Amino acid sequence: MQQWIILFRKEIQENIRNFKWMWVPLVFILLAAMEPVTTYYMPTILKAAGGLPEGAVFEMPMPNPAEAIMMSLAQLSSLGVLVIALISMGTIAGERKSGVSELILVKPVSYFNYITAKWASYILLLLTSLLLALLASWYYVTLFFGSLTITHILGAFLFYGLWLSLIVTISIFYNAWISSQGAIAAATIGTVILISTVTSVFGTKLSWSPANISGHIHEMLITNAVPSALYGAAGLTILCIICLLIGTIFIFQTKYASRKSE
Amino acid sequence: MAIFNDINWAAIAPLLVIQGLLILIALIDWLKGKSTNGPRSMWLIFIIFLSMIGPILYFVIGRRQE
Repeated sequence: MQQWIILFRKEIQENIRNFKWMWVPLVFILLAAMEPVTTYYMPTILKAAGGLPEGAVFEMPMPNPAEAIMMSLAQLSSLGVLVIALISMGTIAGERKSGVSELILVKPVSYFNYITAKWASYILLLLTSLLLALLASWYYVTLFFGSLTITHILGAFLFYGLWLSLIVTISIFYNAWISSQGAIAAATIGTVILISTVTSVFGTKLSWSPANISGHIHEMLITNAVPSALYGAAGLTILCIICLLIGTIFIFQTKYASRKSE
Repeated sequence: MAIFNDINWAAIAPLLVIQGLLILIALIDWLKGKSTNGPRSMWLIFIIFLSMIGPILYFVIGRRQE
């Protein structure tokens, strides 16, 4: 445990030093909060940009609060995933290349601690960013579109956080496996797109798919109750995360052991 | 310009501050750092003119980890 905390602290310090703890929360806040603002001001922007004929009546339906929050989540689902892939693509692969991982693993450090400390530090960073982003989005949604309770926001945070955690885990998994950082980012994004596409094609049959979490969150915001499929999807996501972590440690161990014997 | 009166600037201000902060952090690091991946002056242009994408690209690709 002592060892794990030291490794975890090293990861956090490193991510503070390379500014990830500054820019990732800021970018998440911008991504999430821009959506409600631009939606609200779209008619104004269009009017100012001109091009509408004189007297044209232009009605733009305003989303309800739940829809507005979902817009922010959709933004995080696309650009947020890209950010996650970019910040985590070098976490093991980069250390391997620069020889830092050798330096650490030459000491009696368990592979389990090495991998999970990295994983936990990224989860902490992303969940903090997600919470700040949702609070910012909540502020603008309340200002422009109507109120949502804090319970709604915390519920969305908890369940959406699971989906983001799964993406981090996928990236760490590829990190243990592939050595090129670009390939890791591409594989992570590709996998997320694959999961989302398969889910949207077989949507009704795969209601427990992790990619369905945001759909279920939308339902939760409207009906004020957690749909049972959301619990199912959350459970399946946690299971996937655990399996992927075990797989990551296993692959890393085999790769590292084979390198040592060379 | 009517658009300047239609927009609630007090509400938008925090977003502008965050955007400015992002550029500022990237700029300070750009000033302190000695070398970047690719030409240094190119990154200055990216950071300042590509609003949100510029600083992100700088932190992910441009910054040289020592």
